[in-house]
Amino acid sequence: MIREIAAHRELVSNLVRRELKSRYKGSVLGMAWSFFTPLALAAIYYFFFKYLVARGAPGESIIIGVFGWNFTAICMNNGMMSITGNSNLIKKVAFPRFLIPFSVCVSGLVDYAISLVIQFILVGVLLALAGKMLSGWCLLLPLLAFHHFILNLSFSLLLSACNVYYRDTMHLVNIFITAFFFMSPAMYDWNFIVESSGSHPWIANLALMNPLAPILIGYRSLILPGPEYAFPWMTSSIIGLLLPYIMLAFSYFMFQRMQRNFADLV
Amino acid sequence: MKQNIAIEAENLGKRYWMRGAQENPTLFGMIRNKVKGIKPKEFWAIREATFSVQKGQTVGIIGPNGAGKSSTLGLVAGTITPTTGTVRSEGRIASLLELGAGFHSDLSGRENVYLNASLLGIPREDVTKRFDHIVGFAGLEEFIDMPVRNYSSGMYVRLGFAVATEVNPDILLIDEVLAVGDADFQAKCLGRIRDFQKKGKSLLFVTHALDTVEEYCHEVILVESGNITDRGIPERVIAKYTEAALDEHKENLAEDEHGTGDITLKNVTFRDENEQERETFSSGSCLHIDIEYMAKKRVENPVFGYSIKSHHGWHLFGGNTQIADIKIDSVEGPGVVRITMDPLVLRYGHFILSVSSHSWDHSVQYHRIEDQYEFFVSAKDIHEGIIQLNPQYELRDISDSSAEKPASDKS
Repeated sequence: MIREIAAHRELVSNLVRRELKSRYKGSVLGMAWSFFTPLALAAIYYFFFKYLVARGAPGESIIIGVFGWNFTAICMNNGMMSITGNSNLIKKVAFPRFLIPFSVCVSGLVDYAISLVIQFILVGVLLALAGKMLSGWCLLLPLLAFHHFILNLSFSLLLSACNVYYRDTMHLVNIFITAFFFMSPAMYDWNFIVESSGSHPWIANLALMNPLAPILIGYRSLILPGPEYAFPWMTSSIIGLLLPYIMLAFSYFMFQRMQRNFADLV
Repeated sequence: MKQNIAIEAENLGKRYWMRGAQENPTLFGMIRNKVKGIKPKEFWAIREATFSVQKGQTVGIIGPNGAGKSSTLGLVAGTITPTTGTVRSEGRIASLLELGAGFHSDLSGRENVYLNASLLGIPREDVTKRFDHIVGFAGLEEFIDMPVRNYSSGMYVRLGFAVATEVNPDILLIDEVLAVGDADFQAKCLGRIRDFQKKGKSLLFVTHALDTVEEYCHEVILVESGNITDRGIPERVIAKYTEAALDEHKENLAEDEHGTGDITLKNVTFRDENEQERETFSSGSCLHIDIEYMAKKRVENPVFGYSIKSHHGWHLFGGNTQIADIKIDSVEGPGVVRITMDPLVLRYGHFILSVSSHSWDHSVQYHRIEDQYEFFVSAKDIHEGIIQLNPQYELRDISDSSAEKPASDKS
């Protein structure tokens, strides 16, 4: 897989460019949408939780969570449609098919990297207002973002292939994404999980096995200072951290099996 | 794989399942089919195809629509996964299954050139080096930075062809893409193909332009309803195909006839010098056109006429007994009018005959049958075009020394 990516790196870079350009072409704000969307979402969640449920997480924590979530959501959605949306390419040009969802995820990563800069500034300002500083660990962010990318790629590969065979995938995923959002600690943090699980610690353990959970929690512990954001090193969180690689292997295997018939079905 | 083989296909087959209207099965539909025991029908786009293309050879695939030509090409190109068999190729393949496939309408022509090139596996530096060449060939210098959504379809296709052929592949697969573009561009494309042949590259192409096939191919593969039914030298295979197509076509010819019916034209047969009825004649041979008629009553001074069109619809020749100064006093009952063309100066192609009968002063049309009869002409020589002009060549020296010779001097 890596060899094929290396052999087609120019194609990947062109596909990524195409993806990015077409996504924001014709919109006034252009690339700004890549951070404006999650920011707006973060603001909405912040206010609703704070004033409606009166139990909100700090703003910076929500921002980090929602930005991270948005990366996954975009890769899932765009990745899922990537094969069916490029039927002309699939039918008429021969090249490794997995490069299409791969490119979608790479362009998502580029978007995310840009939005991270904005996120940094915002979080920095919010922390400074509270008299705090960014954690020095944030230098490790690229590593975690790469790990996050692997997870998104595994979703993207599997969903894109499934959607070719059964367009039901589209509808199922819409439901799943909503559930997945609430299952993942995007608008709440680790402490909230611990508190709510109360006397049933298995719930917290289960939550950590969601592969996105250690990622979002990890972002917070890398960026935000203070012991309340320390990463919960537990068996379940390590399982959650290893899962994306197993998922990727599985997705890639399935994708390669299913791609044989893509040209007949798209 | 043998040394001199560029493409080798063995027992190649592609099966599709016919799901009728249910292109993508719904869960409900699947359960219903399972319960009722309905199995989807299978359909072989191409089966048991075994062929090879030698290095430096140009091979054409011909056949009726839906015969499996494009599927075969898709299998060789690798866009379609074969159900059975294998196909191997040696060297870099550029496939023009569709020109400009993968162009993105929001990107400029320049960006699309790079995108398209990378899809075809061409390194970026090569494209940069040849960029002006590509744009020049497509004739799009002024428009190259415009989004391709604003391109005309001709511009689109020109750019696609320019990219794909500029890359110097070892094998070029072309699917009926030369039929687009204006005459000037088509000539450029065919020139490109000649260049490829000169460089010793291999070409495999699908087309309905039989004259192009005859002109460019070393070998022709005939595909009919999913099977390779013949392969060999272009002239023979094309003649076989056109004869088969004629039989098929005959039943579909739209009957356009009118007239008073005083004389009815009943049947037209084409015969060679041995009175043998045929549909295909070789250029330069003898063609008899026998028009059977039936005059219900005595008709004074009738005129029998005909006209010949090429399959393009061009009117090539028309005549009648009046123009030929043949005065027929009267006819009654059945008879035959024979028109003989000897030698036949049509050269190559598919021709359509209309016949008519009318009164001497053209005031009454007895019967006219429009575009009803077809015949084919094949040529053994390698001239081009649809008519045979029988040229003579002469070389004249017009240097001073010869001018002094009083060869045709009358002074």
